[in-house]
Amino acid sequence: MTEDLSITDLFSMSKPVKTDTRSLEKQLRILGIGSPDLCFQCSKCTSGCEAMKLLELEPHSVMASVKSGFVQEMVNSDVLWSCIGCYKCKERCPQNVSPVEIMYVLKNWYVASGKPIPGDYQMMLQNMMTKGFIQENKEILDDEGISKDRGALCLPDIGGPQDMNKFSLIISRIAVEKLESD
Amino acid sequence: MARSMGLYPGCVTSTEQYNYEMSIREVLPELGIELVDVENTSCCGSPFKSINLLMQTYLSARNIAIFEMQGLDMYTPCPQCHLSLVETKNRMNESSDLREKVNSLLMEEEGLKYKGNVNIYHTLNLLHDIVGLDMISEKVKRPLGMNIACHEGCQTVRYTEAGRPDRSEHPEKMERIIRTLGGTASYYSDELNCCGAPLMVTHKESAITKAGEKLKAVKDRGFEAMAIVCPFGGRVLDSKQDRASETIGEKIGLPVFYLTQLIGISMGKDPTSLGLNLNRSPVGRLLK
Repeated sequence: MTEDLSITDLFSMSKPVKTDTRSLEKQLRILGIGSPDLCFQCSKCTSGCEAMKLLELEPHSVMASVKSGFVQEMVNSDVLWSCIGCYKCKERCPQNVSPVEIMYVLKNWYVASGKPIPGDYQMMLQNMMTKGFIQENKEILDDEGISKDRGALCLPDIGGPQDMNKFSLIISRIAVEKLESD
Repeated sequence: MARSMGLYPGCVTSTEQYNYEMSIREVLPELGIELVDVENTSCCGSPFKSINLLMQTYLSARNIAIFEMQGLDMYTPCPQCHLSLVETKNRMNESSDLREKVNSLLMEEEGLKYKGNVNIYHTLNLLHDIVGLDMISEKVKRPLGMNIACHEGCQTVRYTEAGRPDRSEHPEKMERIIRTLGGTASYYSDELNCCGAPLMVTHKESAITKAGEKLKAVKDRGFEAMAIVCPFGGRVLDSKQDRASETIGEKIGLPVFYLTQLIGISMGKDPTSLGLNLNRSPVGRLLK
């Protein structure tokens, strides 16, 4: 497609930032999911979307944007981070497109670009790389207000990776890699 | 004859939803499932799908490999872990490139090798398909006699292609188990609605509001209690029910139990051994 024939967003009259979609297609193939090109905008995904009412996520709009080449714009859009991961859109899509997984891929791209990761992800990553789990064992209150941890409840220790150094080293290596081989 | 099963509790159950883990350890051995604790495990990677899908795949494959090397099938009480593990298995089986890539990383780390021959169970299919309703029924000493709303949780039932513990629309295994325990359960229109818990990472207020909406829907339909099989659900529907009540401006007061706690109650187990003193929702009034 030449520059002149590319799709223009009629609301802002902007043209999509040029994105190489081959990498997206390659990742989607590994995940076994259909290309967003197959989406015919039936909006079944959006009608069941758990984040639509409160956070205005519209999976069919995201698919329309990606299909039209506005991939980079979607990568940088906050709205992707409101996806709950309930998988209703994937389950109900008549075209085997999976908005939820396409959004995971786009979020991966956002993170790979080095921009700040939203919410508690940074903290969860840090815990995972130092303890092996997303959070430390919490002390919780029983119905008499007494604080309890695993030990007090006679639950066995859960140790995490035996060689924590090796484990965190390999995770940091993976953090800069992608699902597909180049 | 007892069947051995490696227990993979996952992050949320093992670090805060102790009542789920306690009831599992109390109840399953009596139902013929011998639970084996496995060392060297880590997060399944599910929370990091948004960050890096290779990281998720690696972490799930790593845990599968550890169980596999000990010749154990895997049982995880967490639907998120379960989905991450089975979808990793599917991806690794389908893409030899990915399998090679992940295996070379695993080998490098600590001599682990992923083959993908383990069976992976979640609480719901373990109880319904492996233990079976007959076995559960034999153990019931105190029929529940409550009208209970089942909340399977999103990833327990979706997505079908991955192979889930129950079907995606009108799931029924949990209802059958509740009926076996002497309770009543029926499908309700909000059953498949999400509890909101995964939003706690990025949108805390919305997460709690969704929990409030779900609880209200259940209460308004006249159910006396709710049964869950997901530690993320427990995190908001039970542990944060007071805050969820505030978001909808109404005192909810709905007892929320883990399914394994309800089985324990019907077996006549001591409530403390099932961690019922750790539930934040008002479970006590139904135990009299």
